[in-house]
Amino acid sequence: GKSCLIRRFTEGRFAQISDPTVGVDFFSRLVEIEPGKRIKLQIWDTAGQERFRSITRAYYRNSVGGLLLFDITNRRSFQNVHEWLEETKVHVQPYQIVFVLVGHKCDLDTQRQVTRHEAEKLAAAYGMKYIETSARDAINVEKAFTDLTRDIYELVKRGEISIQEGWEGVKSGFVPNVVHSSEEVVKSDRRCLC
Amino acid sequence: MFGRSRSWVGGGHGKAARSIHSLDHLKYMYHVLTKNTTVTDHNRNLLVETIRSITEILIWGDQNDSSVFDFFLEKNMFVFFLNILRQKSGRYVCVQLLQTLNILFENISHETSLYYLLSNNYVNSIIVHKFDFSDEEIMAYYISFLKTLSLKLNNHTVHFFYNEHTNDFALYTEAIKFFNHPESMVRIAVRTITLNVYKVDNQPMLHYIRDKTAVPYFSNLVWFIGSHVIELDNCVQTDEEHRNRGKLSDLVAEHLDHLHYLNDILIINCEFLNDVLTDHLLNRLFLPLYVYSLVNQDQGGERPKISLQVSLYLLSQVFLIIHYAPLVNSLAEVILNGDLSVFSSKVEQDIQKNSAKSSIRCFIKPTETLERSLEINKQKGKKRVQKRPNYKNVGEEDEEEKGSEDNQDDADKTKGTEASSKGIRTSSENEEIEMVIMERCKLSELSISTVTEQNTTDEEKSAAASGSEITNWNRPFLDMVYNALDCAEDDYYALFVLCLLYAMSHNKGIDPVKLERIQLPAQHAEERNSYNHVLAEGLIRIMNYAAQPDGKIRLATLELGCLLLKQLVFSKNGSIIKDVHLAFLLNKFIKPMNVEYLMMDASILLPPTGTPLTGIDFVKRLPCGDVERTRRAIRVFFMLRSLSLHLRDEPETQLPLTREEGLIKTDDVLDLNNSDLIACTVITKDGGQVQRFLAVDIYQMSLVEPDVARLGWGVVKFAGLLQDMQVTGVEDDSRALNIIIHKPASSPHSKPFPILQATFIFSDHIRCIIAKQRLAKGRIQARRMKMQRIAALLDLPVQPSTEVVMGFGHSSSATAQHLPFRFYDQSRRGSSDPTVQRSVFASVDKVPGFAVAQCINQHNPSPLSSPSPSSGSGSTGRCDSVTASSTSTPSAAQSPSDDTSAPEQPQMTISGQMIISGQTMLTDETLSAVSKSSKNALKNSDIETANLSPSLIPAQQPTISLITDDNTDALSVESLTLVPPVDPHSIRTFSCIPQSSSQSEVCKVKEPERPSGPQVEAH
Repeated sequence: GKSCLIRRFTEGRFAQISDPTVGVDFFSRLVEIEPGKRIKLQIWDTAGQERFRSITRAYYRNSVGGLLLFDITNRRSFQNVHEWLEETKVHVQPYQIVFVLVGHKCDLDTQRQVTRHEAEKLAAAYGMKYIETSARDAINVEKAFTDLTRDIYELVKRGEISIQEGWEGVKSGFVPNVVHSSEEVVKSDRRCLC
Repeated sequence: MFGRSRSWVGGGHGKAARSIHSLDHLKYMYHVLTKNTTVTDHNRNLLVETIRSITEILIWGDQNDSSVFDFFLEKNMFVFFLNILRQKSGRYVCVQLLQTLNILFENISHETSLYYLLSNNYVNSIIVHKFDFSDEEIMAYYISFLKTLSLKLNNHTVHFFYNEHTNDFALYTEAIKFFNHPESMVRIAVRTITLNVYKVDNQPMLHYIRDKTAVPYFSNLVWFIGSHVIELDNCVQTDEEHRNRGKLSDLVAEHLDHLHYLNDILIINCEFLNDVLTDHLLNRLFLPLYVYSLVNQDQGGERPKISLQVSLYLLSQVFLIIHYAPLVNSLAEVILNGDLSVFSSKVEQDIQKNSAKSSIRCFIKPTETLERSLEINKQKGKKRVQKRPNYKNVGEEDEEEKGSEDNQDDADKTKGTEASSKGIRTSSENEEIEMVIMERCKLSELSISTVTEQNTTDEEKSAAASGSEITNWNRPFLDMVYNALDCAEDDYYALFVLCLLYAMSHNKGIDPVKLERIQLPAQHAEERNSYNHVLAEGLIRIMNYAAQPDGKIRLATLELGCLLLKQLVFSKNGSIIKDVHLAFLLNKFIKPMNVEYLMMDASILLPPTGTPLTGIDFVKRLPCGDVERTRRAIRVFFMLRSLSLHLRDEPETQLPLTREEGLIKTDDVLDLNNSDLIACTVITKDGGQVQRFLAVDIYQMSLVEPDVARLGWGVVKFAGLLQDMQVTGVEDDSRALNIIIHKPASSPHSKPFPILQATFIFSDHIRCIIAKQRLAKGRIQARRMKMQRIAALLDLPVQPSTEVVMGFGHSSSATAQHLPFRFYDQSRRGSSDPTVQRSVFASVDKVPGFAVAQCINQHNPSPLSSPSPSSGSGSTGRCDSVTASSTSTPSAAQSPSDDTSAPEQPQMTISGQMIISGQTMLTDETLSAVSKSSKNALKNSDIETANLSPSLIPAQQPTISLITDDNTDALSVESLTLVPPVDPHSIRTFSCIPQSSSQSEVCKVKEPERPSGPQVEAH
């Protein structure tokens, strides 16, 4: 589901014919979170590369935010959220990743196995936001990314995330045709077993 | 490009109403392409849309209509793409093309479609096309495209990329040219591509990789890693003030990335690639840079060197991450048994090979860039030139040497031919080439080397066992390792040495025989009768230092020392069966600190510091201030206690204080005859409402409902630990109580997570007050029990009577005057403004670390209308609320508006609080329980929700919060001192605590509270 979500966001299109095992790699997209403030998101998908620890490690380490996806029609994917969080934590130290918990495929409400309430509870326990999306129906896809971007942007503004040399997480720079400098935010999209 | 990539459905040019997903539409697109073979400003957008549409039709065709591919192939439509690319059409078109190709290859699922696309070599033409790589975006899409292709590699598709006859493998060679690209995501992609290539099991291709690319690539890679290491070292040496931690941790992470990458290659286990890689790693990096730096610290010289701590640190990382036997064994062999001759340029004798060989192990820069040497190798492949530039010789030489060796030992037949063809090389070349040659036999034929080693082990064993003789052996690296264990000054180096030894002994690839040399048993060692006395003494010295009040040993060092000592002496006098048994115990109950995580932290590279302002975790620095010294003392105590019990093979009987087995669990059926039960209605936060009976046990409160089967029995619907409970009154309802029970914290930094958050409504206000008092009393009781057990644990001379332990009876007026000003002051304010008070505690809670011992003296005057027992204290779940409603009787008589803060009033209560909220370090059993339950937490909660409303999820794990209600002096920071053990079997010494003076009021507490008037809860 996640590759579809990314593509929906970057292309504005839901690809029905996507191969779930092969990921899309660094798609990028500009987001305007306030007038004149444009942020370029780089979105990574780790799919297909889990076999190599060096690769996933490097992805986590160079990410500042993440969408933690689970499938609302799949209880197990929800239960895995916890483990994903733990695994990431280990790899990103000393940095932190800002997460938004995303309940995906909310268009399939009839097959729902995870209630909104319990997902919200879990998110709250970890201090995350929770949002339900559907790539098929283009529900909240933009919002998931912009919310996350805004959260990260706030942290950067408050100095809780600092731009560091050698770290790809957040970089400042000039984007062509943009008057203001913008932060480039790299995100990895996290894979949940769907 | 972001704007325009939005609408790739529809093509944007609205021609006709024909379906966009059809062969017809593709034909139309073809038509457009033929009309627009030249890219101009006018047709750029049209072309981009066309390319995009074509891709989409192809993906659709892949799943629905194979004739699409036929047409695409028949018309050679890829040629149009290439043609467009070659027209220098600018980044707009380039990026689009690369992106759509990317999407195309990602989404093709049928093998045959893939073959169609890959045939005709067009993809290779795109790969070798010289894009403008200075453009970040083009670079990104290009490397991403290569990566996508590499994910499609398998034994069949590899032939589309690797041309055996022309020795071309553009996908791979073009990719590795970017191995040191400044953008880390490009580097990551390159690594992915190489790994995807190596894992394809195609012999000719792999031979090509080894013969033509491996030496250039690996030598450059190793140089690149080494350069990072030098930079890292500079960073450490110039940063004694901990100013530059960000950069340092980044460099450390970078090194870890490299090691993981190398390990990923080695794990693929392609033997002859591994040989080349191992050779380069060992002889160009690990030995000449890391190991060489272990000694010769003071000498100058031209050889590049890094500081001792960095070298130890990096070597530990190597052993923690890389488990490839030939590599780690050779490395361990040099460290444990080698001497400086491995670096001498003189003729080096090699036992295994019986041949002299000129070799300098040196960390030097490759003479050619990777790109250049790849080019040269390619040329050579075509023309077989005799005269070759220097760099290539490096590679050739290597192969030659190996080839001839192969001939000797007949190990690798495929190389025989190469060796003979190269045999003509003159040996004079050897001199001018600073080339390191791996002792291949040594690496690949472990069996032989093992035999040789075993010849010497016996002598060495005795030498090691006798300890002092060890210095007679010329083993400078090992000597250095032992010397660094000495930490009279500080444990800067000792920590790294321990890490290194730990990492070596836990490395799966290391031959246990190697470790036997220093009699350090591997993880699953067999029976032994002796152990390394030198090492053991060193470890015990560390523990001695640690137990001293001013010892400069960090907790991490101590714990690692304990781990190693256990490992070292474990099977002493033990039978094999027992070993297995004990090893089982070790694995089961002891969750050692994760050394790998420790070593991922760059901060330990800098000199040990005491100040928490650096943000360094408590275990990795020295204590700062009394509270931290106390915490350190407590943890030293727990570690040494655990070790001593372990060594004496005694079971832990007193810890953890709360055992999960002993607790009431949900769905237990209890005999409640003669129990005090209070009926109530429980309203959870989400509005759920159930009728329950409230029962209070020693440690727990539970909510039961009558058992239908047996009269007087009840089924537990919820059970929570009293110590984690907060009870507050409800402002406008005297019959109601708000009760929050937090989940016992698994770490002091985790946010409190309420497992029960509900309003309890009782039938009248009297029952409500009774319930409240019962809960409060139960909590005091529970804490008292725990305090008793702590006292027993610490061998404190405590009188057996509960009253003493409880020890509320402190002259309150006296205490009030002794209160530290800020607590006094803040608690006063806190009475009117709970948030202020909360913040006091919150700040206390923020002290980092695991074990928190604090003594808080607090004076809480009468609260407002509805006193809440926990308003001032338990702002978090892990730090139990300190509420001690010790006062009771007098206060009950008072009106709530009374100013109870007058010093002569006895209702003032002081609660000294000692919290040990343990995580990893505390006790082993707890730990396993904690980790287990935290893992299951999610699962369990899901299961439980079936029966309970979501907020009524029972506690899964015991907590080890210990609350004392002792008087002010009791357990003050100063009184908690550890005395260094006289002998290791009696480490449990704890200086005693002055007992509370008056115990009179204790009795009052035990009296039944009066149900009238609000209770004054003091803190």
